[in-house]
Amino acid sequence: MNPNHNPQSSDGGRHDDDAALTEFLASLMDYTPTIPDELVEHYLAKSGFQSPDLRLTRLVAVATQKFVAEVAGDALQVYCRHCKARQATIPKDKRDRQQKDKRLVLTMEDLTKALHDYGVNVRHQEYFADSPSTGMDPATRDE
Amino acid sequence: MSNGGGKTGRHLEKPSTWKRKSGADDFAQAIAKIAVAQLLESQGFHSFQQSALEALSDVAVRYASSIGRSAHYYANLAGRTESNAFDVIQGLEDLVYVQGFSGASDVDHCLEDSGAVREIVQYVNEVEPIPFVHPVPRFPIVKDRELTPSFSRKGKVPPAEHIPAWLPAFPDPQTYSLDSTVDARGADPHAANGKFEQERENDKGDRSLLSSQQQMVSGMFENPTFADPDDAKAKKASVEGNPFLAPPLKVGEKEVAPIAPPTKLFNNVAFDNPVARNFLDDKSVSVLETFAPAIEAMKSTSCDSGEDQTTRVLNENPRVRFKIGVGNKFLGRSTGLSPEKEHQRTLPWFAMEDEKDDRKRRAEKILRESLENPDQLVQL
Repeated sequence: MNPNHNPQSSDGGRHDDDAALTEFLASLMDYTPTIPDELVEHYLAKSGFQSPDLRLTRLVAVATQKFVAEVAGDALQVYCRHCKARQATIPKDKRDRQQKDKRLVLTMEDLTKALHDYGVNVRHQEYFADSPSTGMDPATRDE
Repeated sequence: MSNGGGKTGRHLEKPSTWKRKSGADDFAQAIAKIAVAQLLESQGFHSFQQSALEALSDVAVRYASSIGRSAHYYANLAGRTESNAFDVIQGLEDLVYVQGFSGASDVDHCLEDSGAVREIVQYVNEVEPIPFVHPVPRFPIVKDRELTPSFSRKGKVPPAEHIPAWLPAFPDPQTYSLDSTVDARGADPHAANGKFEQERENDKGDRSLLSSQQQMVSGMFENPTFADPDDAKAKKASVEGNPFLAPPLKVGEKEVAPIAPPTKLFNNVAFDNPVARNFLDDKSVSVLETFAPAIEAMKSTSCDSGEDQTTRVLNENPRVRFKIGVGNKFLGRSTGLSPEKEHQRTLPWFAMEDEKDDRKRRAEKILRESLENPDQLVQL
């Protein structure tokens, strides 16, 4: 689908933006998003989105990919902060042992904190029922 | 989680979504999990908790559906059914508002230089594309249904005048006839029990399978004359060996250990309950008779005939503890068929008027038991 062409020819800037957008959409066809097209199409179709243009599905796929990448980056930062805080309390000899087999694990804790910044409130069921918030209905909400 | 496919976050109905258990979306969710795992790996994570991965993939899926929903909404708002790039950008902006992008506060900004798009362009330029590991087929797969051909397609004339030719043709009469014509091999497949009527929808492959099944079953109940006697023997052997195809046992064929009903207990209890039948519903006779206080002692003379019946009834039913609730009357404000009733509030003057000693003892025991339980009256 071609973007609408502006009738005002005096403003050259608009045409540039036009061109930029068209170029970008064209470049999307070269870029293969990690999220496969078929999957994105399936969920878009489920929500009512209808478009024969593949570039738009790619756009949505790339946007989702960017979102996930950002969340992952934030979660990583949270994890690193935790790690540093934990390391400060451990004596030195144990610290050396720990550094050898350091594995970055995405935990529900970090994810919850990271997603909170994006307006997504994730609450998961506690395994041990020793906190006052146990037993409440878990809810995942986009805002 | 695990039901997030397609459900957008905006107006989430909490209880209904979490109850849904259908596996219709499992494939899409699994693929989403793989894709998200790949992205996480590229960010530097070595491993992830299962629940965290599921949650994040669920959120990602909702994100994509949400963009689609908003894009669709904006297209409809503009009077179109097909979304175009600007609808998508507007939908995207709606979601990215939370994180904030440059130019978000500018309400009249042109969509083409939207900050959200620029951020995406930046992302695309910076990051290497990571293709999805597995090839993904198009899904959901739409199955081609083979419809029953119509009369005209089959070239047949409909049997009666009122049947138009474009309706699906009737199935072959051999598929539903009950005669077992076993002369020729060719006719065997359709020498059927009426059970196998659904051949209408099957193609040739299924038909031959069913026909072999039919042969086996028909071999059970009749004696077919197969062209090949060895074949017949083999088939009969296979049929006899299959326990599911064996004929049902007649009564008395197999020895079954008899069950001795416990009688004594019920006999004793029965004497306590020549219940005040005047107060009972017809349906609740068996229920109340198992448990009653001592009042019957007074009515015993009138209810002697009832005792036999009660013993019989009680012998059949296993021992069940019933508690009978009462209003003002002695008994009988029971709720008929419900097994749990509160025991009645016993009036002390019953005990005093008791004539027979063992009945009195038993009655007192029952009273004691009732007093231990919490006193709650049952209102009808």
